[in-house]
Amino acid sequence: MKKTIMALLAGLVMTAGAHAAYPDKPVTIIVPFPPGGSTDMVARIMTQKMSEKLGQPVIVENKPGATGAIGAAQVKRSAPDGYTILCASIGVWAVNPFLQKNLAYDPAKDFDLLTVAVKSPNVLVIHPSVPAKDVKELVEYLKLKPNKVTFPSSGAGSSDHLTAALFWMSTGTTGIHVPYKGGGPAIADLVAGHAEASFQNLNNVIGHIKAGKLRALAVTAEKRAALLPDVPTMVELGYKDVVVTSWQAFGAPKGLPTDVKKAIHEAMMAALKDPETSKKLTDPGFEVTASTPEEFAKFLQAELAKWKTVVEVGKVTLD
Amino acid sequence: MEILANLSLGFSTALSLANLFYCFVGVVLGTLIGVLPGLGPVATIAMLLPVTFHFQPVTALIMLAGIFYGAQYGGSTTAILVNLPGEASSVITALDGHAMAKRGEAGKALATAAIGSFIAGTIATFLIALFAPPLAEMALKFGPAEYFSLLVLGLAVSIVLAHGSLLHALGMIFLGLLLGIIGTDVNSGAERFTFGQPWLADGVNFVVLAMGMYGLGEIINNLEKKGTRDLMLKSVSGIRLSWTEFKHILPSILRGTAVGSFLGILPGGGAVLSSFAAYAVEKKLSKNPIPFGEGAIEGVAGPESANNAGSQTSFIPMLTLGIPSNPTMAIMIGAMMIHSIQPGPSVLTEQPALFWGLIASMWIGNFFLIVLNLPMISIWVKLITAPYHLMFPVIIVFCSIGVISINNTEWDVFMMAFFGFAGYLFSKLECEPAPMLLGFILGPMMEEYLRRALLMSSGDFSVFFTRPLSATLLAVAVVALVVVLLPSISKKREETFKE
Repeated sequence: MKKTIMALLAGLVMTAGAHAAYPDKPVTIIVPFPPGGSTDMVARIMTQKMSEKLGQPVIVENKPGATGAIGAAQVKRSAPDGYTILCASIGVWAVNPFLQKNLAYDPAKDFDLLTVAVKSPNVLVIHPSVPAKDVKELVEYLKLKPNKVTFPSSGAGSSDHLTAALFWMSTGTTGIHVPYKGGGPAIADLVAGHAEASFQNLNNVIGHIKAGKLRALAVTAEKRAALLPDVPTMVELGYKDVVVTSWQAFGAPKGLPTDVKKAIHEAMMAALKDPETSKKLTDPGFEVTASTPEEFAKFLQAELAKWKTVVEVGKVTLD
Repeated sequence: MEILANLSLGFSTALSLANLFYCFVGVVLGTLIGVLPGLGPVATIAMLLPVTFHFQPVTALIMLAGIFYGAQYGGSTTAILVNLPGEASSVITALDGHAMAKRGEAGKALATAAIGSFIAGTIATFLIALFAPPLAEMALKFGPAEYFSLLVLGLAVSIVLAHGSLLHALGMIFLGLLLGIIGTDVNSGAERFTFGQPWLADGVNFVVLAMGMYGLGEIINNLEKKGTRDLMLKSVSGIRLSWTEFKHILPSILRGTAVGSFLGILPGGGAVLSSFAAYAVEKKLSKNPIPFGEGAIEGVAGPESANNAGSQTSFIPMLTLGIPSNPTMAIMIGAMMIHSIQPGPSVLTEQPALFWGLIASMWIGNFFLIVLNLPMISIWVKLITAPYHLMFPVIIVFCSIGVISINNTEWDVFMMAFFGFAGYLFSKLECEPAPMLLGFILGPMMEEYLRRALLMSSGDFSVFFTRPLSATLLAVAVVALVVVLLPSISKKREETFKE
């Protein structure tokens, strides 16, 4: 037994010493959500080109639980050798720290940030029965019916929940937040008219908008969405704070060797800039961002500051 | 005859060589993961999604759909043979299906499940072809209040699942409700009964509970009764269904199809109710001298048909409205988007070849499944006559692999072991696990819909009575409860008097 352990240790030391040969075994991307969601989709679309570039298989492993906290904490505890990478969403990177007590990771301190892979614009949609043609009329309607209009979201503490809180804060209005288990059922009740207004990923509602089942009032991105050129941004309408995009970003355990970090980042860029892979991402509505680690660090600080304010001022709690 | 033109477009798409091939691959894979306990279609489809990137969109969807309904088909096999339900719908199949297997009629039970599923699948496919858009509009009428009332009806009817002490059944339902509460509350996001442990934050997984209570509990039980089991299975009779038997179960199949087709359309989880509801219907209408729970063939035919019909009709909201009715449909929507198809009402008009091709492939897939599964039955039946000391370690290994594949965590295996001992204990106490699993499934859903309905009505309870659909469902629940309880109470009295 002892001998085996020694042999294993020796092996570990040797591989650590020989990291110039990175990668010499498969690379695992941990997705802290169940298979099939947006984050899982982004990771899986990217794996093929990444493995071509790295010359080793890249595998996606789903480690769901506690809105992504379990998987993120596992990556934090992994060896910083480049064989375990985290692909996670805005919630894991920028929202959980302010909502979950005893969170087992610190997004800004525990990871070597790699890249913000994609962003997707959110859009304010209402059921057509709501008597509002634009944001101004919706604000009036909300003021007329304080704490009466229902805003479904994909879950308590989700980015669409917080966007609604941000919207109420900026417009001085109120509403009822109705959490669901995921975006799908929330959109279903919105389309059916059981709920009235929501902030959703553009790609999840574009079909309903085009079919007239939902009315789009504004997009929350910095600029108008290519799919909805006639719909204004919240910034254009004078609500400068209401800028929210959903995003998926990659990180690795803190302390990655420089050359390994460079190799992974290059593989990710190769995947994101490959025309075929990039089409697979843009078709479902993602916008390829492919930022540098430095840009990601700056972006993360800004996002953390924004959501801290929303959680504190909007008094969002999970208990 | 627009429908004929549509169907011929569908079949000409689905019958192309590539589509036929991938339809076949899909249903074979689906059957396989259905048979293996714990492995589910959601994970399989997500993992195979990248493989389909280079396919035509319709080919990709045909294969992924095949995995989904193939898994529903395969799930009944392990439930019948080794009392191991891998998903909610097969819990019911295990009740009478496994009892039949113990009697030496495993082949008959498997044939019933296969034929029932095929007939149900065929009828449901035609329902989709003929009425998909209006059915989808109807499904949208179900809001939180309606779902809550539907679930009340489901729980009321669930009392019939008990074939034994009513008190024990009620106790188990409540235990299930309590177990269902563990985890993160949907409404507030607060954690309940997790003792601060992250591995409990998402609650107890259904598969973990079912594998433990049924699979492991059953194994401990069997090991205790050494010898008797092998004797029981030596007498494997009746591998085929006779024509009289087929005529006997046909009404059950048709009733199950009707119940399943309707509940499958509802996107808010009506599908999980379908096999329970069909079982309740059969138990009420059956004139079989064999009591339900002890191997009544209708108890396999009805729920299996309902479950398969429901899995087919659950495509309706996805295809016509772009609304996912279960996690598998959510991934299918993702697959459509990756192939540049916007899910929504426009799919029907803009992508007729895809819509009708997929529907036609479902019928072809069902045909493959029955051709594939009927000859397999004799092999399955031989498999369970294998010596038990060889079989039970294999079952435990597969259960553990299946359970670990859900969340990639060893805690789920420990929990399964815990529920295994609990299952053994409960069988000693003559408490059936089925009512507990029903409580476990329905409880959290009821809470979710109740609180959502009240949240939307600002706390006004009258929504449940003023909305006509909801009020009707509640009224039916009251009637059902009276009908169900009266005979069992009077029967109880009789029994007491006899003693």
